[in-house]
Amino acid sequence: MRIIVAENLRKTYKTYKKAAGFFKRETTYVHAVDGVSFAIEEGVVCGLLGPNGAGKSTTVKMLCGALYPSDGRLEVMGFSPASDRKKYVGHIGAVFGQKSQLIWDIPPIESYKMNRAIYGIARADYKSILDELVALLDVADVLEKPTRALSLGERMKCEFIMAMLHRPRVVFLDEPTIGLDVIAKAGVREFIKKMNGRGTTFILTTHDLADVEQLAEHIIIINHGKKVFDDSLTHLRRRLGDKKLIELTLNEPPPPGALEGMVVTVTGQSSAFKMTLEADTRDISGCIESLFSRMSVRDISVKEPPMEDIITALYQ
Amino acid sequence: MKSLSIYKICIKTAVSQAVAYRFNFFLSLLITFLGSLLLPLVAVLIYGAGASFPGWSFHEVLLIQSLFTVSQAMAKVCLGNVLWDTMIHVREGSFEVVLLKPMEPLAYMIATTFSPDSFGNLLCGLALFGYAAAHAQIVSAAAAIGAGLLLFIAGVAVMAGIQIIMAATSFKWVGNSRLPEIFGSVEAFGQYPIAIFPSAIRAVATFIVPVSLVGFFPAAALLGRAEPEAFWGAGLSLLFLGFGVWLYQHMIRRYKGAGG
Repeated sequence: MRIIVAENLRKTYKTYKKAAGFFKRETTYVHAVDGVSFAIEEGVVCGLLGPNGAGKSTTVKMLCGALYPSDGRLEVMGFSPASDRKKYVGHIGAVFGQKSQLIWDIPPIESYKMNRAIYGIARADYKSILDELVALLDVADVLEKPTRALSLGERMKCEFIMAMLHRPRVVFLDEPTIGLDVIAKAGVREFIKKMNGRGTTFILTTHDLADVEQLAEHIIIINHGKKVFDDSLTHLRRRLGDKKLIELTLNEPPPPGALEGMVVTVTGQSSAFKMTLEADTRDISGCIESLFSRMSVRDISVKEPPMEDIITALYQ
Repeated sequence: MKSLSIYKICIKTAVSQAVAYRFNFFLSLLITFLGSLLLPLVAVLIYGAGASFPGWSFHEVLLIQSLFTVSQAMAKVCLGNVLWDTMIHVREGSFEVVLLKPMEPLAYMIATTFSPDSFGNLLCGLALFGYAAAHAQIVSAAAAIGAGLLLFIAGVAVMAGIQIIMAATSFKWVGNSRLPEIFGSVEAFGQYPIAIFPSAIRAVATFIVPVSLVGFFPAAALLGRAEPEAFWGAGLSLLFLGFGVWLYQHMIRRYKGAGG
């Protein structure tokens, strides 16, 4: 079932540019989101990607009901986010990596109590949801400490509880792992996977491609306000073609013309003894066999091409 | 009912926040208390030098100024931070956090910006009112007290309206930190007997930005000197507050956020 539908969505900002003359200024219009259409199924994790200034934050703000679209149709769970904002936001949650919803000087538990009143959560439900989320995120020890005294990882986990106490159907995550160490990132990703397994839909914007690779099934890429990709992660990978990277460590430099006649491309060579080749997956075993017969190989590894290459190509 | 329970818990949270830094909290109470004493100091100097506001005794002027202080303090305690918090949210692009809550953004801002730091102003205003009321010739008739109370409530509505209008303008003029100073200057007309000002200023202070209601008109009513225009002004004060609320809600549509 489609939970989010955007049709020809646009957001245009009026800005001013300095013109000739001291007091003169020129009006310009910036199309932050320029006719974007997409649909997202319920229960998925959808990665909304794009370089800085691409329009993804503006899109998320419109999806959250914080900004009115300039044009187009936007429907989430049957609501028009900005027009039905008061009713709509009771069904969504949001975690902004760089904007805290917790109150800085007091413990997170006090902020949760405030959210309980605002969202009208029954006391019994509040207790059971809180216990469940606290156990999943393993933050029982930090709930009574002032927010300012928490580490970034602890704070981010507490932000997740703040955003999910009212059991939202859709949760928007804007760079939820920014600045976190590897352990904290893993904890956050694990939590997202578990909640997604229970049916919560997540819309994730991030620059950390590991988040995308580990969490997202559906990818939408926006650049210059326009959609440039909208499909599954598998399809995104296929953009590079059926290729694998072969990393070789040699016992001695390869003889001249060692790769002649082979369908491989040298993509990196850090020394005479180390090289990276790009090979067609349709004949990967034949390729490896050939390499072993032509060179003295000490070590070999076969890898997927990095996501960065695909994303960079789409961003350009 | 739900709004009241939200407001109650938000007040509790604001008090917890304020007492998280105890020394700062008590110092703020003391400073705001002493700061509020500066207003009647002007009257003390004028009357101490043998001068006066024509037709008004020292204690009557003190009554106006004490009611002004109480009114202003109530606005500061209940929504004093709405202006600054709105301004900061708009400038930093974090107003989304407010818009994510399933309630009116202005109600959320009022509830979450309750400011116990300004209790010092309130205590000082109440102490001054007690002193001035004991020495001025207050009319004990129920009608006079009722009129005084009505006009006082209208004055609080004016102060609230001023705060909300200023906050609303921050959606358009981001970081307009000078605007509060202009409103502060206009408010000052409510601190003295209105009769001392030229008729143009009297009209503005009664019918346009009805700051006369903040101190002067309620005090005049308690002294049995209420004028009919005061009650017209009281009606306008509700319109003034209503305009502020409408403007705030309307201006939210102009919110753009910050670059992501």
